[in-house]
Amino acid sequence: MKSSPSVLIVDPSSESREVLRVLLERRGATTLEAARPEEAIRLVRKCRPDVIVYDAESDQSPNGQPTNDLRQIAAGSDTPIVILGKIGPAQGIFSKSQVVAKPYHYGPLIRKINGLLPAA
Amino acid sequence: MPSLFVIQGRDQGTRFQLDGATITLGRGTTNAVQLHDTEVSREHAEFRRRGDVFVIRDLNSSNGTFVNGRSINEQELASGDQVQLGRTLLLFTGVTEGRAEDLADKINIVGRPEEGDASRIVHAMHQSEGSEILSLPDSESSSPWLARARSNLQIMYRTALAVSHTLDIDQLITRIMEMIFEWVDADRGCIMLKDLESGQLVPKVRRHRNELQAEERITISQTILDYVVDRNEGVLTSNARDDDRWDAAKSILKLGVREAICVPMQGRYDVVGVIYIDTFLTPQRMLQQGASNKFNQEHLKLMIAIAHQAALAIEDTNYYKQMVQAERLAAVGQTIASLSHHIKNILQGVRGGSYLIELGLKDHAKALSAGQIDVESAKKAITHMRKGWGIVEKNQERISALVMDMLTFSKEREPVPEPADLNDLVGDVVELVKTRANDEGVELTWLPAPTMPTLMFDPEAMHRAVLNIVTNAIDACHDQCDGRVEVTTQYSQAEQMARVAVVDNGSGIDPDDLEKIFAVFVSRKGGRGTGLGLPVSQKILEEHGGRIRVESKLGEGSRFTLEFPATLPQPGTSTTDHSLLDHAANEPATADSSHG
Repeated sequence: MKSSPSVLIVDPSSESREVLRVLLERRGATTLEAARPEEAIRLVRKCRPDVIVYDAESDQSPNGQPTNDLRQIAAGSDTPIVILGKIGPAQGIFSKSQVVAKPYHYGPLIRKINGLLPAA
Repeated sequence: MPSLFVIQGRDQGTRFQLDGATITLGRGTTNAVQLHDTEVSREHAEFRRRGDVFVIRDLNSSNGTFVNGRSINEQELASGDQVQLGRTLLLFTGVTEGRAEDLADKINIVGRPEEGDASRIVHAMHQSEGSEILSLPDSESSSPWLARARSNLQIMYRTALAVSHTLDIDQLITRIMEMIFEWVDADRGCIMLKDLESGQLVPKVRRHRNELQAEERITISQTILDYVVDRNEGVLTSNARDDDRWDAAKSILKLGVREAICVPMQGRYDVVGVIYIDTFLTPQRMLQQGASNKFNQEHLKLMIAIAHQAALAIEDTNYYKQMVQAERLAAVGQTIASLSHHIKNILQGVRGGSYLIELGLKDHAKALSAGQIDVESAKKAITHMRKGWGIVEKNQERISALVMDMLTFSKEREPVPEPADLNDLVGDVVELVKTRANDEGVELTWLPAPTMPTLMFDPEAMHRAVLNIVTNAIDACHDQCDGRVEVTTQYSQAEQMARVAVVDNGSGIDPDDLEKIFAVFVSRKGGRGTGLGLPVSQKILEEHGGRIRVESKLGEGSRFTLEFPATLPQPGTSTTDHSLLDHAANEPATADSSHG
């Protein structure tokens, strides 16, 4: 039996993580949570999620290196990333289709994430 | 590092650091200095650094590159040069590092004579007496040339003083005109300044000798004005009919001016205006003085020198005003960007909470749709709605706090002191933040001072100040598993001081960041902070004649002490019953209401 698809939510706001968690779990996905990219990197290596939802404000570093590291690790394992908010050039190059501008609506966001998840 | 600061144009207020050997300027996105100006070419100019020399080169742009108003192909830049590309005017500032030598070891300032300098004051003179040094001594009254030279020097000295004492251009040129009338025997005079937008000369100051009719119009030949401005030369017309340069226009003939001096006000970059004076010599006066002229080349030279001084001062004032305006626009832009960011985050939270409520409502409707209640589904729906409502409420509190901080910070206000109890006030704050502390897993301890007399302070403002500090302390414990915040009050009768201390065992503050924590819009809390809380609290304490002391160790925690002079109410001062708990109970976003 195929296990349910998993989504890693990286967001410094616990309430934002909670909203996404509730919405994704309703659609049968399992969720992992991290407040910072450093923690997210550890979870990606350990749990290999199907999709990463990444709030650009999670990175508090002055040079954007943790985001860049996460992007490279995700690219290495072909894990799609959805970026929430504006990303700085130092944090790496992301295609426009990956970025969702803030403030976003949850309906289209969930549909976007669903579209990236493998069929359960 | 050299820089270009935009003082005019759409990017006004932006400073571009010129870091690198070659930097391109233009409209295109690939330029290090990107200008949002449609009259700037995509790749307009290039800035090159050759050692300590900075050169700007035009890259065959459509509209050209100008330095200090002159079109250039390539030009070496000096600090203070103005570079114009399209409609954008930039001010160049060169490197300063390396030039400023640390002279602390080479110059000694000593307190006592025995430490190396036994000098004593022999004679003192007030600064205003400086020009007296140029006045003519009685012994030298026999040398007219020397007397005139001294007099001219004195005039220039006083002009320099006059123009350096004001940043108001109207005041400055009025003073210049008054001084000209003191020194030159003119009948009428005016100063015209170039309008910054249109470039046209606009009369700004007019003056005439007292005995003349004030309402008499001064008529000035356009030919003279054009000559003076275009050629940047001062002119003296002692008898216009004898001067063939004006014959073509014949304008002087018509005016009948016997003598006039018109000089350009040449500044560092451009002619900013003209000064015009004239005089009428009637035949009777010519007979009386035995000469047909009153003005001579000495007057012309002096007027040119005065006009130059005035022009430099006007340029400085205009430049200063533009800088202030540009800085102001930059600050407004930063404020708007910062506030928009916080409001966007709050709005995102409200959307999240609302979406959960909406889902809960849909689920609840579904649970009831079959005519029978599906208890499990209804419970789940209510759980979603509660979660959503909690998030909406939290964000409502955040926007309310942001608005209150903005109001407090923006207003120049005097505190409204009234008799109040500091223990009650701090107790109320602790009550308010209890829920937040619980949510964050932070242990909150409240230790009121055993003795706290009724004091005079502004309770509403002080409530805000203490609330911001306690909230910050809880947030600082965000990543701690055993976060603790202790709030205490203290009253010192001996020092006549009241104190509120807020101690946390949170993340602490880097010593390098300690100086910055009271700066507006500087937040160490990422998206959760507005960067207004600490500056607002500091402002409130300062309004009360107090201050905030901070002690912190990175990784160990911080202690914030709010202290202000403890003023006891005068006998007979009525104590208003301003129970802050009552006040809080009326607010929808308090601990009481959130506890349900």
